[in-house]
Amino acid sequence: MLWYKAWLETRSRFLTCLATLTIFCAVFVGHAQTLLRREWTADYNRLLFVSQQYIVIVWVLAVVLLGMGGIVREKATGTSSLTLSLPVCRNRLLMSRVGLGLFQAIALGIVPWTTIFLVSSLARMPISISQVAFYTTLLIAGGLSYFAMAILVSSSVEGEYTAPAVAFGLVLISAIAFDAWLRPFSLWRLVSGDYCIDRQTYLVSHFPWRGTLASISAAILMLLASMRIIQSREF
Amino acid sequence: MFFKLNPTAGQPLYLQLMQQIRHAAETGALQDGDQLPGIRTLAEELVVSPNTIVKAYSELEHDGLVELRHGSGAFITTKRRMRSLKDHVQVARRRLSKLIEQLRDEGLLDDEIKRAFEAELLHSPEFVRKR
Amino acid sequence: MISPAILTHDLTKSYGPVPAVRDLNLAVQANRITAFLGQNGAGKSTTIKMLLGMVRPTRGEGTVLGKRIGDAEQNRRLRQNVAYVAENKPLYGYMTVEQTIRFASSFYPDWRTDSEKKLLHEYRLPLHQKVKTLSKGMRTKLALLLAFARRPELLILDEPSEGLDPVGIEHLLQLLVAEAAEGVTIFFSSHQIAEVERVADHVCILNAGRLALNASLDELRQSYRRIDFVFPSLPPEREFCIAGVEKIQTAGHQLSLFASRNADAVVERGHDLGAVSIEVAPVGLRDIFLETVKEN
Repeated sequence: MLWYKAWLETRSRFLTCLATLTIFCAVFVGHAQTLLRREWTADYNRLLFVSQQYIVIVWVLAVVLLGMGGIVREKATGTSSLTLSLPVCRNRLLMSRVGLGLFQAIALGIVPWTTIFLVSSLARMPISISQVAFYTTLLIAGGLSYFAMAILVSSSVEGEYTAPAVAFGLVLISAIAFDAWLRPFSLWRLVSGDYCIDRQTYLVSHFPWRGTLASISAAILMLLASMRIIQSREF
Repeated sequence: MFFKLNPTAGQPLYLQLMQQIRHAAETGALQDGDQLPGIRTLAEELVVSPNTIVKAYSELEHDGLVELRHGSGAFITTKRRMRSLKDHVQVARRRLSKLIEQLRDEGLLDDEIKRAFEAELLHSPEFVRKR
Repeated sequence: MISPAILTHDLTKSYGPVPAVRDLNLAVQANRITAFLGQNGAGKSTTIKMLLGMVRPTRGEGTVLGKRIGDAEQNRRLRQNVAYVAENKPLYGYMTVEQTIRFASSFYPDWRTDSEKKLLHEYRLPLHQKVKTLSKGMRTKLALLLAFARRPELLILDEPSEGLDPVGIEHLLQLLVAEAAEGVTIFFSSHQIAEVERVADHVCILNAGRLALNASLDELRQSYRRIDFVFPSLPPEREFCIAGVEKIQTAGHQLSLFASRNADAVVERGHDLGAVSIEVAPVGLRDIFLETVKEN
């Protein structure tokens, strides 16, 4: 029932983000028809690449939003006494939130790209499934560290509105930092496919395993840190 | 059965309940064989801890006024001992009414008489013996 | 002898330099109704939070239902048999009444559906309405329902009657007493001394983090007395420095004493000193509480 509770808590956030993302993708790609010139293949692929840039922005923001909540926030809203008196260990409370959030993050990654795929097929400009899969996997696997960061922030920062402010602030700072000083290691560029795009054909290939693995490791570390923090916190 | 327990009377509630049950048995409001209310029922009705009821019933059983039948409840039993106690009480009440009449004739108000009795009664038995 | 439902040993919690709870040695017996009294900030809520694993003791230890409160896994297991309603009657605003009940009941095998239905009916709670739209009284009732629809071994309530009207309070006390009759140990804190006096078997008074009084209500009723003397000429107060005398007040020819025990010895002394009037009166829990927390 903890998953049910997490679902009720994040339901409206999730559905809003999903609807926004899906509609945006459908509209953006649907309009592609009007923007095409003769060498449409390369241009269309570039359009897909651009879509990924936008999807990444919205996805990261959505996923950070979904990572908010938890018992530290409940302390501010006054319900932590109820949740913590349940006969479940604190890790289970955290894991149910993380588990649901993961499913939601994956759905938010798959659904928009599936929409693009369908819309493209309907517009008689089919794209290969492998491209779709590539972008989706890159998005989710690479972007999980943003979700983990949100979980870590929501486990450490008290206050109903302080935690989201800090989390979004960190997203902004990281975007600037990655662009300004850490260009070779930019998570942002990893997730948007910048490292694997062929500038001639605008097709993505050579999955960046190392970068993705680094991102997933960071995510796991942040998750473990969150667990530790929650265990030792006082309410 | 109407019982009324006073939490601020300076007397344990179970003792008050015992007295009221005894009084009911003496005046005939409760007869031999009558069943006393169940512990939970009476506790909910009087809004007191069930331990009060339990203690009252078990002390009364110890004194021989009540019989606790396993599974059925508490029943009044007026044994021979209790009947003679009833006579004692009747005699005592006659003496008391004479004394009260005397005190009233001497000019004491009922309230003063009552307070004097309460003050005397609140002394522990040891103290009484000392005097 | 059944082991105590709650037992603590030198339990201490300090936030900074001042301890909120110090060297608390609490022993709450099973199958009894124990009241936990204290002023605001005396450390009652902190104590309860330590018992339920929400706050870690600075020093000392305790057990609830035989399981150590300091061990996370044991604490989790003891919580299966403990029902707790916090002072602010917490509920999830985004859930409906029905969802709240379904959620809570899923965690406890001791949930009783018959009690749940009975209370829902008595409280007239609207099943499909979201909790955040309920009135304060309704929310209090729902929070209490989550505890009273169970038959736990131990029921801990922090100011349960706050937010209830007199009819609600009466009903709550009846529920409390009914649970106690089923063998549930009850440990509740309250500022409503009149309520406590009616239903509690035992009372613990916490003052500035320490246990200042720990006695059965019957003992208190039998031993605490207020004794008023009138003397033709007042004897010195030190004549009345007898064990048990807590406070002496004089006014003209009158001497008033507050004794926690040994009332008869005090009366005898007054007699010997030539008192022309001796009045002995019982002391209510309110006065006992006020006297106990005043002496620091």
